[in-house]
Amino acid sequence: MQDMQLLEEGLSLMALGMGFVFVFLTLLVIVTTLMSKVIGRFFPEPVAPATPARGRGAAAPSQDDDVMVAISAAVHRYRRRHRR
Amino acid sequence: MEKLLTLWYGSGLYNLSLGQGVMVLVGLGLLYLAIAKKFEPLLLVPIGFGGILANIPEAGLALSAAEQAAHLARPGVLEQMATALGTSLDPAAGVEGWRHAIAEVLHGDISPALVRAANDVAMDAGYAHGMLYQFYSVAIASGIAPLVIFMGVGAMTDFGPLLANPRTLFLGAAAQFGIFATLLGAVGMTAMGWMDFSLNQAAAIGIIGGADGPTSIYVSSILAPELLGAIAVASYSYMALVPLIQPPIMKALTSQKEREIVMTQLRPVSKLEKIVFPLALLILVVLFLPDAAPLLGMFCFGNLMRECGVVERLSDTAQNALINIVTIFLGLSVGSKLMADRFLAVETLGILGLGMVAFAIGTACGILMAKLMNTVSRMPINPLIGSAGVSAVPMAARVSNKVGLESNPHNFLLMHAMGPNVAGVIGSAVAAGVMIKYLG
Repeated sequence: MQDMQLLEEGLSLMALGMGFVFVFLTLLVIVTTLMSKVIGRFFPEPVAPATPARGRGAAAPSQDDDVMVAISAAVHRYRRRHRR
Repeated sequence: MEKLLTLWYGSGLYNLSLGQGVMVLVGLGLLYLAIAKKFEPLLLVPIGFGGILANIPEAGLALSAAEQAAHLARPGVLEQMATALGTSLDPAAGVEGWRHAIAEVLHGDISPALVRAANDVAMDAGYAHGMLYQFYSVAIASGIAPLVIFMGVGAMTDFGPLLANPRTLFLGAAAQFGIFATLLGAVGMTAMGWMDFSLNQAAAIGIIGGADGPTSIYVSSILAPELLGAIAVASYSYMALVPLIQPPIMKALTSQKEREIVMTQLRPVSKLEKIVFPLALLILVVLFLPDAAPLLGMFCFGNLMRECGVVERLSDTAQNALINIVTIFLGLSVGSKLMADRFLAVETLGILGLGMVAFAIGTACGILMAKLMNTVSRMPINPLIGSAGVSAVPMAARVSNKVGLESNPHNFLLMHAMGPNVAGVIGSAVAAGVMIKYLG
């Protein structure tokens, strides 16, 4: 008799507990998804680093060329001036 | 000659009872598993050593002052203790009988006020709590050690994979079925008359299925402190056995084709999301399940320290130095519960058996849930990650990854499995909260 009661209590605890775990985690899924959406919409991560880096990378060679020209001109002139 | 005899009567060999001898061997066995087989060595080394310390005859390291006095004190003190406990001593039984009677009363079901009174009498007579008893009352009876460890686990957890794919939380929920099925199993064994578990004890045993050491210690310290030793040992040894227990179940429940499913790559998660998540979880706990607040509160706190990025030092302490210190005392305290007269019982075997079943059912339910989700969702889900829903971070996720690689050497599931893995931690803490709410 008492055993049946114990079993019944065990069953109800199982239903209650499992139900609650699912409800709670479902809520957590909803809240998390909403939060990610809101943050994605209103506070987007600055994705900038990727594009400027590529831009700078592309610009670099021509810039280097200019610098090289200037330096070699300067060196050339310096040497000419000091040879005399 | 007289003096020699006194020395002999005081020696461990003379006083060693069979049970204590067996428990010393059990302690050595745990040390062997930890050192030679690398089974959760961080915990089993302190637990095994504490178990040996607790069973040193006459030292009484794991006994309270009253229990020590009942064992050693003069008859006058025994009489005082009997008055404090509200029992009478049978003059015909002799001093040995008195000791036995008082120890019986102390082990029985008596109110804490009486225990305190008996302890006071014993302390007045010059007896003190044993060292391990002190550790136990500070670390576990107060609930502090498991909670501090949970904070450290929070500080070590990266919720990125979970945030990238929040639906994996369902896998963590499904795997908790192991907890409740085991509870029912323990109650069923009692109904059949094989064992004698109360509902509280059954609940504490079920939590082993959560595969989460600190959670199961926390729950059993509240619901069934008398079973704590066996539950902690079962819980940690099965966590170590995850790589052996899980793969056969995983392979039996999935087809080769399912195991080869490649999952889409996870999206990157922003820093702000990671900071807001522990706070969102905390608010949900506040609103719906305040009983899980100690566990999940500390967990969220640890995680916030990790993600907010402004308290590097605190986060570093929580996940390294502090968790190590607490682990030492937690292990020794658990070891103090490995005393022969409480551990060597049929119930312990029942707990070990049920713990294994709990694990297996949790694993199976996680996989079945993943298969179900795979049929209804657009994004493919490899059922193997379902088994990681039984926390056991990060072992279970590694097992998913390994079994996945066996089927398809280019399919790395580790990051995908980390989602259900940390979801399992949250799930078992929620289940623990429900149990404490219902039974505590």
